Amino acid sequence: MLNVDRISVRRGKALVLRDISLSLEPRRTLAVVGESGAGKSTLIAAILGLVPCARGHVTWSGAPLGSARPSLVMQEPRSAFNPQLSLRRSVLEPCVAQGLAPDTRRLERLCDGLELTSDLLDRRPFEVSIGQVQRIGILRALIAAPPLVLFDEPLSALDAVRQKHTARLIADLQAEEGFAALVVTHDLGYAAAYADDIAVLRAGKIEEIGAAKAFVAAPQTAYGRTLRDAAFALGALERVA
Amino acid sequence: MIRFFIGLFLRATVVLAGTALATFALLWHAPGDPALAVALARYRAVVPDAVIDQIRAEAGFDTGFWTAFVHWLAPMLRGDFGQSAVTGRDVGPDLLTALSYTTPLALLGLLIGLAISIPLALVATKRPGQWMDRISVALASIGAAIPSYWLGLLLILLFAVQLGWLPAMGARTAAHIILPALTLGLGVAASLTRILRSGLLEARGQAFLPAFHRRGVGAHAVERDHIAPHAAIPVITVFGLELAFLLEGAVMVEVIFARPGLGTFLVGAIEARDFPKVQAVVIVAATLFVTVNLLIDLLYRVLDPRIGERNA
Amino acid sequence: MRSIMLLSGALLALAVLGPLIAPNDPMAIDIPNRLGPPNPEHWLGTDAMGRDILSRLLHGARWTIGLAFLISVAGLLVGTALGLLSALGGKVVDWGLMRATDTFLAFPDLVAAVVVAGLLGASTGSLIFALTVTGWMRYARVARGIGLSVKSRGYVIQAQLAGLSPLATARWHYLPSLLPSLTVIWTGMFARAILGISALGFLGFGVQPPVPEWGTMLLDARIHMRSTPLQMIWPGIAVVCSVLAINLAGDALRDDLAGQHHAQ
Repeated sequence: MLNVDRISVRRGKALVLRDISLSLEPRRTLAVVGESGAGKSTLIAAILGLVPCARGHVTWSGAPLGSARPSLVMQEPRSAFNPQLSLRRSVLEPCVAQGLAPDTRRLERLCDGLELTSDLLDRRPFEVSIGQVQRIGILRALIAAPPLVLFDEPLSALDAVRQKHTARLIADLQAEEGFAALVVTHDLGYAAAYADDIAVLRAGKIEEIGAAKAFVAAPQTAYGRTLRDAAFALGALERVA
Repeated sequence: MIRFFIGLFLRATVVLAGTALATFALLWHAPGDPALAVALARYRAVVPDAVIDQIRAEAGFDTGFWTAFVHWLAPMLRGDFGQSAVTGRDVGPDLLTALSYTTPLALLGLLIGLAISIPLALVATKRPGQWMDRISVALASIGAAIPSYWLGLLLILLFAVQLGWLPAMGARTAAHIILPALTLGLGVAASLTRILRSGLLEARGQAFLPAFHRRGVGAHAVERDHIAPHAAIPVITVFGLELAFLLEGAVMVEVIFARPGLGTFLVGAIEARDFPKVQAVVIVAATLFVTVNLLIDLLYRVLDPRIGERNA
Repeated sequence: MRSIMLLSGALLALAVLGPLIAPNDPMAIDIPNRLGPPNPEHWLGTDAMGRDILSRLLHGARWTIGLAFLISVAGLLVGTALGLLSALGGKVVDWGLMRATDTFLAFPDLVAAVVVAGLLGASTGSLIFALTVTGWMRYARVARGIGLSVKSRGYVIQAQLAGLSPLATARWHYLPSLLPSLTVIWTGMFARAILGISALGFLGFGVQPPVPEWGTMLLDARIHMRSTPLQMIWPGIAVVCSVLAINLAGDALRDDLAGQHHAQ
């Protein structure tokens, strides 16, 4: 399981993350919600070791997380792909890097689920639509059957129908393969519908963390209530919940 | 700002120390015994091995690379470059004499280069892409491809051998400087024309210039007030680059024209394996370059505060 | 554009094929016919030892152009490796390597090459070492700059997370971005290496006689400038034409890449 133990991240003199602790079991999904600038993407970078932590540490079943080969779905889907290589090459890169033979049946199944046709993969990143790149990003994150997947706003470029289909596929696959998922999003509706737990991040600190259903029913903090009520007002929560 | 200056000085010091280290490493690994060279310089005769061993111990040559490096560097920091291994004369004064020949040559070469390249670049960029521009680009391209030593030989052939108008070899009269300076100046002109041309084109292409023309500001005023300062920064860079070009050119040109100066001093010293002379030239020239580059970095900062660090 | 590329291709072909099409033995001494003018047998005349100048020039192409190619490629490899190491090796490595680059740039490269080659003793090996050691810095600067910008791109982070080996990452993710700029620098350094080799040859610190390297040929010809000036003209023209062709090809390549960049 993922264990994040009191990590802090410094940028210049300011602390952008303060004493973040959380844990995540296989098969479970944790959604981190919060407004822009709360430190959501920094949290992902810190967990993956892409930015140094001033304090604290991150482990996976007691060992450093890196050796578990977690995968990441990036917020900027197009920049996650080398423009000079075919998408197929990039998608299969995790397999190549780990010396695994590319599993073509798995690739086909994932493609079907994500509503991608195989010929799309032979194009370059800038030759397909942004929504397609985003789904191909999810495809790459899942191809090597990782134990932990981090999603940074994974559905932002998709229309409502595709959002639902894609979220469904991720949930089904998770039930089947048992990976742990950490989703960073500002879409509380999505978080409430698919996450087991919700953590509210505000100005680099966790305001509250707990079961998703309990949060929607009764947030523990004033800020949590503001977030929930805003989502109610927008209709985001009813729509999915 | 103060941090910026300290950083610059620190960098310059490290670069100089690096140059000294690289020079010493080269001498250390060069074929030939440095202690023997010192012995020959000191006694100007064949000396017994015991004396050479003593020198080796004194200079720290037998104590390993780093101790020897410190022993080697310490007198130079005081400005003492030792004695020539061949003549036994002090290296410092001889180096100054050589510099007194090279400096006028370099300055005159630079002047000739500027006198050719500035008009050429201005005429060329009046109508970019037109025939005058093409001709000046072609001239500059050909000029950049001509090695200075060959150009020098051609000029000797034409003006000294065939026409007999100018003296070629040595430095006895004032006229002796004309052909070497011309050789150097033509090379400078070739590289300067290219840089000035692209600098001017870039400055003219700046987005705000058409606005001035629309407001009816005269072409001359635009040229003077807005294009010139923008061309100034590349020009300063150019001087940094041309300094390297001038020293390089001077070395070759002086050898061709058998003119006493830094080039003949250096090449003669290398041929004679006169280590004290070689290292003196290297250290002095490196100090000169680092100092000039330091001044250029400071000037940049003054002219355009947005520039934090050149080439960083 | 195409014609310039063709010109450079022809030049390289000359370096490879030159010795094969040379009409005479470049080393064959013929004292009675020394310093001969151009004639049907010796198109460009003969030198002070009666050797055929045209054949020597054609054989010299392999030395001057071939060695310049070798040196510029060696500089490319060394400089790129150091530049990438600087970009990816952390702050301390970066600082150290960049100050080393400054140190080597603190001195005009040709003068440095003269000192290095001269002190190590005149030979082809010293020549190659001297010009390589003074010719890697531009590559290093550019490789570092591009490396720093590529390092933070999403696909490099993805490769890092996937555990792709450093070598594979360099090959697939860094090299494609590096190649265009490095090629342009390489043409400039190739031309400079030709000038450097012939300059060192001319000073007597480079390739040693009787090998017909162009600078060495000029050195031989210089003494007979008064009697047979033509002998001195030919190697010079060979150097100028080669350098000009390479520089023009480099300019065309740079404009081409700039055009592509704008089009994208």
